Amino acid sequence: MYTRAVALTNCWRTPGPGRQYARMRSTVLALVALSLVSACKRGNKDRPGADQPKAGLLVGLVTDVGGRGDQSFNDSALRGLESWAASSKFQSGSYTRLTAAERSATIPAELAARITPIEVKPLVVQSKAQEDYQPNLQLLVDQGASLAIGTGFMLENAVEAVARANPGSKFLLIDSPVLDTKGQPISLPNVRTVVFKEEEGSFLVGALAGLVAKDKVGFVGGMEIPLIKKFEAGFRAGVKTTNPKASVLVQYTGSFDNVQAGKQVTADLLDKGCEVIFHAAGSDGNGVIQAVKEARAAGRGVFVIGVDSDQAHLAPDAVLTSMVKRVDLAVWQAIADLAAGTFGNGDLRMGLKEGGVAMAPVTLDFPDKAKVLEQVDALRSRIVAGQITVPANQAQLDSFTPN
Amino acid sequence: MGELLRSLVSSVLDAAPPLIFAALGATLSERSGVVNVGVEGMMRAGAFVAAVAALAMPTPLAVVVGMAAGALVASVHAVLTIRLRCDQVVSGMAINLVMLALGTFLLEALFSSPSSTPPITQLPGWAGHPVTTWLAFALPVLVHLALTRTAWGLRVRAAGEKPQAVAVMGVRVGWLRAGAVLASGALAGLGGAVLSTATLDRFEHHMPTGLGFMAVAAMVFGRWTPLGATAAAVFFAFGDALRISLGSSAPGLMPQGVLLALPYLLTLVVLAVSGQRSAAPAALGVAWDPEVR
Repeated sequence: MYTRAVALTNCWRTPGPGRQYARMRSTVLALVALSLVSACKRGNKDRPGADQPKAGLLVGLVTDVGGRGDQSFNDSALRGLESWAASSKFQSGSYTRLTAAERSATIPAELAARITPIEVKPLVVQSKAQEDYQPNLQLLVDQGASLAIGTGFMLENAVEAVARANPGSKFLLIDSPVLDTKGQPISLPNVRTVVFKEEEGSFLVGALAGLVAKDKVGFVGGMEIPLIKKFEAGFRAGVKTTNPKASVLVQYTGSFDNVQAGKQVTADLLDKGCEVIFHAAGSDGNGVIQAVKEARAAGRGVFVIGVDSDQAHLAPDAVLTSMVKRVDLAVWQAIADLAAGTFGNGDLRMGLKEGGVAMAPVTLDFPDKAKVLEQVDALRSRIVAGQITVPANQAQLDSFTPN
Repeated sequence: MGELLRSLVSSVLDAAPPLIFAALGATLSERSGVVNVGVEGMMRAGAFVAAVAALAMPTPLAVVVGMAAGALVASVHAVLTIRLRCDQVVSGMAINLVMLALGTFLLEALFSSPSSTPPITQLPGWAGHPVTTWLAFALPVLVHLALTRTAWGLRVRAAGEKPQAVAVMGVRVGWLRAGAVLASGALAGLGGAVLSTATLDRFEHHMPTGLGFMAVAAMVFGRWTPLGATAAAVFFAFGDALRISLGSSAPGLMPQGVLLALPYLLTLVVLAVSGQRSAAPAALGVAWDPEVR
């Protein structure tokens, strides 16, 4: 610290042309000093080999940069591994056993019978930056993990590289197939991939929105990319099925990290008379929910539909339901297959039938609630039975006719 | 038409205030001769601290604490650039980087959540908008009067144009500039606090998502004057509101990509029409050193 202080003080004494460099150097030093302080404090909570329950197979998981506590994608994957499979919870640096009651509280009712505990030992490594993915996955392999899980499409490259380098290890990649350099899906002998049929879940919440709203519903997307268009197509098809007269107003915020943008576009949709708004906009969605919450506080009977995980806790009186992606189920299923010796490679697509997407429980009250939910459930059964094919893009939506 | 206009105005009233506060802050600092690209980081400090403070005290008070946090971060900038004469742009960028990391780190350390603080009570509103919205249209006038009608304002402006003259008059340039930088940090902190206490009801880990840089752009666009910067901030917000309104009311009128670029296209057009020589203070970015003539 002393030398740094000297460097800092020197910069206003150094005469002549050297001064410019000294100034810049001192600023950089100050920055380094500050970041060192925060780096020291951070510690490594998820350090491998931390206190874990004694159990059989070692199952490793690498989070994406969202990390533990994102209340969404990563937390869902961690739930599948830690709570559902290993019956443990991660608290202040180590794992403790969950009681049976605590464990079952994390499992939705419809899956309660299916999700059994599996004797595995979790090993979680968090990623702080994109560059961490590959070394983190390799670390899991080096620690002897029987299965290494990559959470999120951002880990696609890393999973591919590490899987090729370690043909003897098994991998699970969530939310993306393995892609070759041209972007075409390929399959590797030791990688299972899982993607979700978001359009099917979006269809259901769209059907619900169509029944709850009279003539206008809204959709707020983040960036206008194929994945989000899938949500939009399914949602529009759902609204069209239950309320063909309703118009769907669509907004894209162009980002996934801008709360204010989400709130602004939602204020506009509410102004134009939308009664139910579905968002697929990442963090922008916090702004969407906030805008609807404020409109309700101002006395308007409007609702918002959340995405990825059950977002009801963000605004219990405004969130009608959420389109849930069951990442936890995909993770648990892979571990169950591993334990049973049936884990194989391949690309799974999990829709309503497989339980990969679902509509979160509806706790709010609205007119004719029981009848409406019955209708939505009937649609669900028809999708599961294959009687309705839900459109996943604009072209399919154009040729979609409700029957 | 009236309906459309009403919704546009309402959208501007919601979106412009954080930008206005931050742009005012940037203006104050730069008029005194200190480049402040650290506005983004100071806003982040204000947003975070206000949200944390609001857990323990009434929200309006927490906003003041957020302003203090912005000023505290600005004091680092002041020490680095005025006392130690470090490069002003590098210092500002360093502050942005440190605040980006520190915000995320503290979020995890204090609330063990990488995404947000617990929800807080929002700022009270008046006539359908948070009180800060109305403040955002009163404050520019006050800052304008302070800069143009008071002795302090004259000195600050002189420190940015010709610090030698100020020094010759026996006024300490360093302290003048430090005061302006601290006020700048407090205003940026206020802008950030609006995001976490009025726009949303908690600090969200992405805040302020580039608004600080927009504010610096608004200051340049507004030719380094408080009223100009405010007008520019309102103009940016209006461009955004127009894009949003067109997006939902006339779908297919133009592709989404073009729509998203609309505010920036508007800015380019206005710049081209109003283009004049730069209005930056003459001594901007130059550290005050009494031994250099």
